[in-house]
Formats: sequence, structure tokens, C-alpha cells
Amino acid sequence: MATTAPARDTEIEREAERWMNDPYAHFGHHNTRIHSLDPAHVAAVQLAAMNLRLQERRGQVQVLQKLADSQGIDRIDSLDALAPLLLPHDIYKSYPVSLLARQRFAQLTTWLSRLTRHDLSGVDVSACDSIDSWLTTIRDQTPLDVGASSGSSGTASFYPKSKRDYRLSMTGLRVQLAQKFGQDPRPGDIDDKIHAIIPLYRDGHASMGAFGKYSCEVFARGDPAYWHYCFDFKLSSDLMWLAARLRAAQAKGDISRVDVPPALLARREEWEQAQKDMPAQQLAFVNRMIHELQGQRVFVMSTSNLLYAAAKRGLEEGLSGVFAPDSVFMGGGGAKGVPLPDDLEEVICRFFNTDRMISAYGMTEMNSFSVQCEHDHYHVLPWVTVYLLDLDTGQPLPRTGRQTGRAAFFDMTADSCWGGIITGDLVTVDWDRQCPCGRTSVALEKQINRVSELQGGDDKISCAATPAAQAEAMDFLTGLGG
Amino acid sequence: MLATRPISYAVLRGEVIDSDLIEFGGRGGDIAFLAPDPATIVDRLPLASPRLMEDLYALSFEDILDYLAELGERLHVDRNDRMREAREHSYATAPTTRPIMDHFFHDMPFMFDRERIRAMVDFTIGVDYLERWVEREVHGVKTAIRAYGARTLHIVAGNGPVLGALTVLRGAVTRGDTLIKVPSNDPFTTGAIARTMVDMAPDHPITRHLAVAYWRGGDEAVERKVYQPHAIEKICAWGGFASVKHVTKYIQPGIELISLDPKRSASIIGPEALASEAAIAETGRRLACDFATGNQTACASARMAYVLCGSDDDGIAKLKQLGQAAYDAMFTLPEVLTTKPKRYDASLRQQVDALRFSDDFYTVIGGEDGEGAVIVSHTPDRVDFWEYLADRTINLIPVDTLDEVLDVVDAWTQTVGIWPASLHETVRHKGALHGGQRFVELGYVFNGAGLVGPQDGIEPMRRIVKWIISETPTPAKKPFWEATAGDIQVIA
Repeated sequence: MATTAPARDTEIEREAERWMNDPYAHFGHHNTRIHSLDPAHVAAVQLAAMNLRLQERRGQVQVLQKLADSQGIDRIDSLDALAPLLLPHDIYKSYPVSLLARQRFAQLTTWLSRLTRHDLSGVDVSACDSIDSWLTTIRDQTPLDVGASSGSSGTASFYPKSKRDYRLSMTGLRVQLAQKFGQDPRPGDIDDKIHAIIPLYRDGHASMGAFGKYSCEVFARGDPAYWHYCFDFKLSSDLMWLAARLRAAQAKGDISRVDVPPALLARREEWEQAQKDMPAQQLAFVNRMIHELQGQRVFVMSTSNLLYAAAKRGLEEGLSGVFAPDSVFMGGGGAKGVPLPDDLEEVICRFFNTDRMISAYGMTEMNSFSVQCEHDHYHVLPWVTVYLLDLDTGQPLPRTGRQTGRAAFFDMTADSCWGGIITGDLVTVDWDRQCPCGRTSVALEKQINRVSELQGGDDKISCAATPAAQAEAMDFLTGLGG
Repeated sequence: MLATRPISYAVLRGEVIDSDLIEFGGRGGDIAFLAPDPATIVDRLPLASPRLMEDLYALSFEDILDYLAELGERLHVDRNDRMREAREHSYATAPTTRPIMDHFFHDMPFMFDRERIRAMVDFTIGVDYLERWVEREVHGVKTAIRAYGARTLHIVAGNGPVLGALTVLRGAVTRGDTLIKVPSNDPFTTGAIARTMVDMAPDHPITRHLAVAYWRGGDEAVERKVYQPHAIEKICAWGGFASVKHVTKYIQPGIELISLDPKRSASIIGPEALASEAAIAETGRRLACDFATGNQTACASARMAYVLCGSDDDGIAKLKQLGQAAYDAMFTLPEVLTTKPKRYDASLRQQVDALRFSDDFYTVIGGEDGEGAVIVSHTPDRVDFWEYLADRTINLIPVDTLDEVLDVVDAWTQTVGIWPASLHETVRHKGALHGGQRFVELGYVFNGAGLVGPQDGIEPMRRIVKWIISETPTPAKKPFWEATAGDIQVIA
């Protein structure tokens, strides 16, 4: 028995391949169809796709190979059996920070190359003298467009995403946002140029920057006349990293020891000035858009906090926007530790004259955004397998009943990386209950917290320092807490 | 159902309260416990009037030592049902494991040793200052200083059951009126000590000047009444901001906040400590004592070790050897000092696991089974999650110069373990400038003067007393009414 390979259902494998390669084309860009599949069938396709991906990627992505070898996993026979092969998100920042400070981009490239299937060995980074130049070089010479983000600890995370990943991701947003669930797509929903309003940057390696660039391709169909951004420059990953380092140094109480290259430190004022000027410029931008694009179909994509700030100030100044009724206003979820105001939706809807603001849950490390339905659930695209992991054991919780755990995902469409990621988010799913909105896809409840926020417990006091206590104390002392 | 929950007794000035019980805790897998409804006892928490401190001044320091020595005798857990019960319940709430908790309880009576207490008090405050006015002639005036007991609210940490005992002891020797708010991670032990005091001497002034109770930090109904200058003079808060964030709004002139800020600790190891196989083995043993003891729950526990081995291949090879030696040595320590952690932090585990894939830059030794891990950095970088190192997880960091190390010693640093001894002089001086508070030989972080010692540079003993000045002129001092303008030195 051991010598015979298990029988394979080639038909389901062929379907899995279509989902993996171009899921939107496979479903005719039909949002309702995508979210109305039979869950049992979805699970079968997901399982087939996982095995296909595992065979393919384990020889291509070094970290996966190492993990699969150490776990002795060649093939899986259930969705949960893949759980040991999900990679902690921390892996995308698992390089020593001094490499950045000392600009060792060749070493960083080697580190990055272990996380992607794309070959980086031919990339010459010897001329790179900044994070921006390093990531641009990789973008110019390879299929990658690395997603960079800076965390509160002052560490930058680099996710070696490909351009194809970004396009898929953006296409998913268009499909899910432009169409009303329960209806067939209108021709314009799929193909027309749609005004994309991005009150952010033209370009950048962080998602806030990349959003702009790829929305031009996907929403404006490459027509600059349909592509509207606030800042006509690239969001600098160096400056974002500098800001994170400064914050970390400040929390430590010694701003004189910021471990960044001197040339970057010299740009501190530039960053601070830009931060200061940003809100006014964004407000002016939004106001200009209201005026110029009145009555047109627009897609406004931003972070929730930014939309809120623009809307609130706009209302205070007696302004409001009237676009075409099928316009969409999307605020991003997952604002790292930043609480959202209670009247968020109300203010945004009032200012933009819309019924609702749409939120989506997503992250740089995944192609697929989960868009919120009218019942406040984030619906996960069928090519993404959801895992809720027990906080203590890391084992998958049962796929029955209402469960809360650390969210992990396997995104079979991942083009560059492995696609299996363990997040820092605490998510709830009721597996037995279909969402009243009619979608059959997995529904994440609205309340999503950071797992790290749970630590500390209830009224427990310790003499040993924890970062939360330290940050709170510093916020309190410096007045940054409010 | 209620009856099955353990009780966190309130003990108010000689009276044990176990009525009007309500439920607390029980969140996130913690056990629930019962405690008297704070609303029913809040008025009895503080001392009614400062004049009631008088009875403490009928006691001599020797009387106080007599009392504490007898209390110590009665705290032997094998002979004390109340302590045994507290220990039983504390297994569930404590961050450490049963063998470690057993040992804490077993050793508690030794904290009450007369000579040890006397030495501690004499070193930190000076017995004379507690017993009488200590007088010296300064500038023609007999100037005297005396340390008076204060009415102090202690918000005590719960990472070890000895902290309540320490607080009782400190309150007694300083003739303080001691109000202890017990934490939810140790809601039973201090009450058991106080109940033992009631059994022993219900009317003794020391018993009458101790109040122990649980209320949830931030309970406004309680705190509004207690955190008043007429009720207390000082708040001594372990855990710093985490424990007092609710009360800062009550801080006003008349209430002094003594914040025993949360701390972390590190080790600094010189190249000689890796000079031979034998030296590496010894250094590993020493290091294990400092990071594994008490399962790394204390602020004094080492979490990072900076090793002056250089970051070249040779240095890293030695550092890995040290890491393995420290990891191995961890298992040779007795279980009263360290065990497999109660519950290895899942987020920490995820971060440690992520480094396993980054073997160009890190070597992870152990950690597969939740037993603890040694993370060896290959560059002079501490791990990104260094603030979360816990559950017997230490990061070894190679450095080339001492200056690189001192950069990370700061005001949050409590103990620095140093090896070899030849580094001690330099490190303690330079480290002190950077904010380090306690410098010890590697391996002796928990094997020193102990809690009944000076603790660290925060000087809690000197700060929980009130320092009072008394002056009387000598005949040589010319009164203003007889002085000429030239004689008068008012300000100076």
C-alpha cells in the first residue's frame, strides 16, 4: 500500500489550477458566483490546491522546504493537516536590524530570496544606498514588488510579493466592490475605467504607496485621467523606517541613539514637516475631487482613519461630496493598534452622501481582501483557507461552532511566496451559521483584535517590564497617548 | 457553586472579613475567586486618623523583631493551615509552577530571621534613625533627623508569593500603617499571612496596622475614597505604571507616589569567560542560574546576555557553544529553582520559531517543547522581540566593544550580571551612568542578599518612611533679634 500513490481526482485538480492561476477569470469576474459556492466543494478544491502548491513550491521557496522537511510533510489529506506548514508573519522581519542600519543590501537580498520562489541571485544591489533604492532595484530587475511595512518596535518587515500578486489583489477589490451581491455584474463593472481616488501616494513600497500605482492599472485601466492621488511622489520606505526608529527610540527615552544611517537621520525634518502638512493637503485634495468629479462613479480607497479625518474636517467646513450612486468608499481595516472613532461610519457617510462605508480586511502578506457585507462580516474569498489557531497550543480549532483564535490563512493564489501565513490577529468565525447576507463564503466577525493586546491580563501586576506598560507610561508622560 | 471558589480574605486591622463575598477574576482561563465586596469594607481600609499611629511608638525595634521572628515561626507551611490553603489556591493563579511555588512557601519563614532583618534595616535606613532622633551639630544648630512610619498603600506585584510577606515586614520595621491591595495573580498569600498575625496577636499594634484586601485596580468607588491625603500619605506601587494608571488622577499634594517601575535585566560576559571548554561550561552554568531561576518571571531575571566574543565566525562559534552550555545547564538546576514553564507564551513561541528559518543570522537552541530556548544572534543585534523574552528564553548577543553593550543599559535596567570578575569595576561604573541599578557576579542574581536586602537602586525602604527634621539652636547661635545685618545669613 505504501508504495502506491493515493488516487487523485484530476478533475478537481484542474479546477484548483484555474483557481490558483486566475480565479477571477475562472468565475467570469462574477462576485455573486464567487461568494455563493458550496462550502464542501470549496474545501475539496482548496485541499487539491494545497497539495499542488506544496509539490510545486517546496522546491522553490527555501523556508517552505526547510519547514516541510522538518515536519516530514509531503502531502496532506485535510485542510487542518496544512497547519504545521503555515509561516509566522514574523518571518518577514527575521533579519537583524543592523543590516538595514549598515545598509548591507546584498545580505538582505539573500535573506529575502529564501522567502520567494523568484530568483534574486542575479540582482545587483551594490549601488543601493537606501531601502527605496534597494526595493526599486529588485522591482526593476525581477517579477517582485516587495511590500514593506514598519512596526511599532522599529523593525521593518519585507514581504517579497510579486507584481502579479498586487494585480490579483487589486482585481479582487474591483470585483467585490463594483458589483452588488445577488446581481449579475453590469458590463461597466468589469471593464470600464473608473475614477480611483487615493488620498495617498502615487507610488511606494508600503501598501499605502502601492495602492495608488496598482489602482491605476486595475480601476483606471491605465488612464492617468482616471487616476487621482494626493501626493505626486513615492512614499519613502526609508522615511517610514526612520519614523519607526524615532518612535522606538523615544519610547526608550533616548532620542540621541537612533540606529539609522546618518544621511537618513538628516531627513528627519523633511519627514516631520511632511507629516505636519499632510492632513491639510489631503483635505484640499478631497475637496478638489468633490468639485472635479461631481456626479461621476468613483472609488475612494484609503485607511478608515484618513477618510474619517477628511470627512470630519470637510463637514466642519460645510462641505460634502456628491458622486454617482454606485460609487464606493472603502476604508482599510487592520489599522495597527489605532482605535477607530465611534462615529466613523456616520461621519463618512454624511460627508460622502453614501449609505455605507465599506471596510475590508487584508494584509500585505495576502492577495485576497475580505470585504465587509451589510451584516458586518468580512467574507473571505473561496481561494483562501481560514484557520483559527488556539492561542496556547497553536493547533487549529475545530471548524464547527463559534470559535475565536489567532487567524492564519492559506491563499492558494500567492504567486511569489508560499501563501500560508499566521497573523497577529484575533478573529472570530461562527462555522455553523451562514451569514444572513446570502454569501456562503467564510464570514469573519467584525471585531478583530491584535493578539498582543490580550497580553497582560486582568489586574495582574509584575515587577518585570512588558512593552505595553512601558509604552503606556511613555505615552502618558509625553502626552502622546490622547 | 460559590462555595467552591477560593476566598481572598480581607484582613482589616486584626479582623478577618469573609462576608459579602463577590466574584472576581476568571477571565481568559484564569480561576475565579471570591473576596468581600469592596464597597462594604472601603471605609475600614485606611487608618481613621494619623494619631492612631501612636501605639507603634510604644514598641522598640527589638519588640518589632520579636513579633516578626514569632510570625516567621508560624508561617512554616507544614504547620500552618492558612498558608497551606493559600499555597494550594495559588498554584492556579501564579505564573510559576508547583515546585517553585512550594519552595517560595517553604522558604518564607527565613525572611523573618531577626539578624537578617536587623542587618537589612541598618544598611538601608539605619536602626538608629527609626529608634530615635539622630542628632548632629550643623552651623550652630543641633539638627536631628528621624524616620517616621507613614500610612502607605502598597500595590503589590504578584509574580512571587514572597512579595506580600516582604511588604508586611517592611511596614512593621518602619512603624508604618500598611494597606495592601493584593493582585489578581496572587490574591491569597498575603491574606493568609495577615490571618496568621490575627491568630497570633490580634491586638498587637503591628497586627492592627495592617489591612489587606482585594479590589479590582481602577475600581473608582474604592479608589476615590482611599486615595485621599487624609487617608494615606504614600502609594508604593510595584509594576509602576501598569498598577497605578488608574490612580494618577488622584495624585495630589499630600500623596507621594513611590513607583517601583517594572524593570528588566541582562548579563555582560567578557571574552575570558569563553577561553576554554571548561570556562564555557562554567559560564553556561552561571548564566542558566540567572535566566532560568523562578522561570524568568522576575525583573531580575536575565533576558539578554551580551558577550564580548566579537561577531566574526570564531566568536559566533564560541557563542553557540556557550548557548548550548547554558541550555544544558538549565536542566541541571533543581526544580525548586526552575522547571518547564507553566505555559509557554504562544506569541513568543511564534517569534522564536520564525527565527529558525533565519539561520544565517540566528541559531535557536531548544524551544520545540515549550521548555525554554537560547537564541544566539550572529550579529550584534538583539532579537526584534527582546521585550517579550520570557519563559526561560534568553538571547545571546555577540559584541565587539563594551560601549555597544552599555548602549542598551538604561533606566529600565535593574540587574546586570557580570563575568568574569575583572569586568565588574568598569561595568558597574559605566553601567551606573547609563541607568543600571544593581551589578552582581554572573550566576548570583538570585543568590545574594535576597529580597530582605536593599532590592535595587530604588531604595523602597528609605522611601516608605517619612524623614522628619528637628532643630534646636546651640548657645553659640546668635538670635536674629541680637544680630547685626552683617551677622545674618538667612538664606544660606
